[in-house]
Amino acid sequence: MKISGFFSAKNLNSTKKYQQSKPLIPPLKYWYPWSRQGLNWVIIFISVLLCLLMSPTRFLGMELLGIAPNWALIWLVAWSVKRPAISGAFAGIIMGLLQDALISPHPSHTVSLAIVGILTSRLQKHRFIQEDFISIALIVFIMVLISNTVFVVQLFFTNNSCKPNCFQMIEDIWIYYQRSTLSSAILSSLWAPVVYYPLNHWWQKIIKLTRN
Amino acid sequence: MFTIKRWWEHKALQLAFLGLILGGAWTLKETNGELLMELYQSFVSPLTTLQSSNPTENRVRDAKLMELQTRIVELQTQNQRLQKLLGYVEKGGTSNRPVVARVVGRSADHWWQQVTVNRGAKVGIKPGFVVKAEGGLVGLVRTVTPHTSRILLISDATSQVGVTISRTAAKGILRGDYSGEGVLEFYEKVPNIKIGDLVSTSTYSRKFPPGEPVGKIKSLDLKKLPAPLAKVELFPPIRYLDWVTIYPHVPDNLEGIPNNSNDNQSNK
Repeated sequence: MKISGFFSAKNLNSTKKYQQSKPLIPPLKYWYPWSRQGLNWVIIFISVLLCLLMSPTRFLGMELLGIAPNWALIWLVAWSVKRPAISGAFAGIIMGLLQDALISPHPSHTVSLAIVGILTSRLQKHRFIQEDFISIALIVFIMVLISNTVFVVQLFFTNNSCKPNCFQMIEDIWIYYQRSTLSSAILSSLWAPVVYYPLNHWWQKIIKLTRN
Repeated sequence: MFTIKRWWEHKALQLAFLGLILGGAWTLKETNGELLMELYQSFVSPLTTLQSSNPTENRVRDAKLMELQTRIVELQTQNQRLQKLLGYVEKGGTSNRPVVARVVGRSADHWWQQVTVNRGAKVGIKPGFVVKAEGGLVGLVRTVTPHTSRILLISDATSQVGVTISRTAAKGILRGDYSGEGVLEFYEKVPNIKIGDLVSTSTYSRKFPPGEPVGKIKSLDLKKLPAPLAKVELFPPIRYLDWVTIYPHVPDNLEGIPNNSNDNQSNK
């Protein structure tokens, strides 16, 4: 008796197909461009949200003299390093509005963060510095100094609550500015790679795929 | 014309998207980040149970002692005044139950001294309520969401507390100096004070109930112009706040009265 089922070509084919196990999620290059773009936006949204929600928390090692790293600024630098100035500016404004929502809108954070966004994208990092981690830490360090300075200038001009003596207020701001800026800059630049590395990795991947 | 049309077709979606995000961020800002705070609370609430509460015990005990001491001095002077003039009417007296809340978040920026606690409008907290901790007055509720409220600490530079020196009744304004310490500016040119004097809220204060212990004088600068200045050591451990108590307080101004009557009516 001939058993037809076992050795026929059809069955062989089917077992072969079965053995080539497909991953549950196909690799990114097989995705539709629009769905890849959608995933990109989802990742951007989630990373921004995480950065915002990190700012009021104080986990171990994230505090120096009571000052936490400036997560919004780190994200902004990671975003605008390899992007045109206009997108850096808009990202800065949006981040500033979100930070206003979290803390207090007077004076607004939009100005300092928009300036940071523009300056970072104007840096043209690829022309001067090649190495990634150190240069990002350096850029964040400088940008914290700049944004803090802009913010202090805003504070000087928008301070309405210094009724008894304004000079004392300005003196206080100045002393605290000197003390806080350095620790904020150091802490932010140390934590910068944590945000920058995964985001940059992802965006490079997306750019490479869209070019192909 | 054709190029403009092509450009428009190319960019319309992007522009609309940008507008949408900008609008969203603006709305968030206008609503004081209510959505963000609620989200933060929902993320943090499982974590707070894990976090062990370890306020440095000695500090808390010291703070408690200082609070009691200030209260006694305050009560003594008040008692004397009462004996002097009969018919002294005490302010305040709203006898609602205080709410105990846990600090779940600090200020997101180092220019402000704020904390976020895990109780909000659902348990009846409203902006303007007074917040105390071990040691005395801590701050004022600034904004509330259903499950969180944001507190402006008295060590913030924008918060101004009318205070009095319990021993001599010298009056002044207490505010923060950005780094989390208190600075007291006096109204008088030559106030009768010395280092170690106890500070509590003044009867002139509209935002806070009178007689709340705040701190003690740490250092003095009487030559400062235009007004003498004193550094104040705040009793509550502002940097390590963990649990706070929120007391209902109706601000003592004209706007407060209609609100109060409305509340009473709605309660009935």
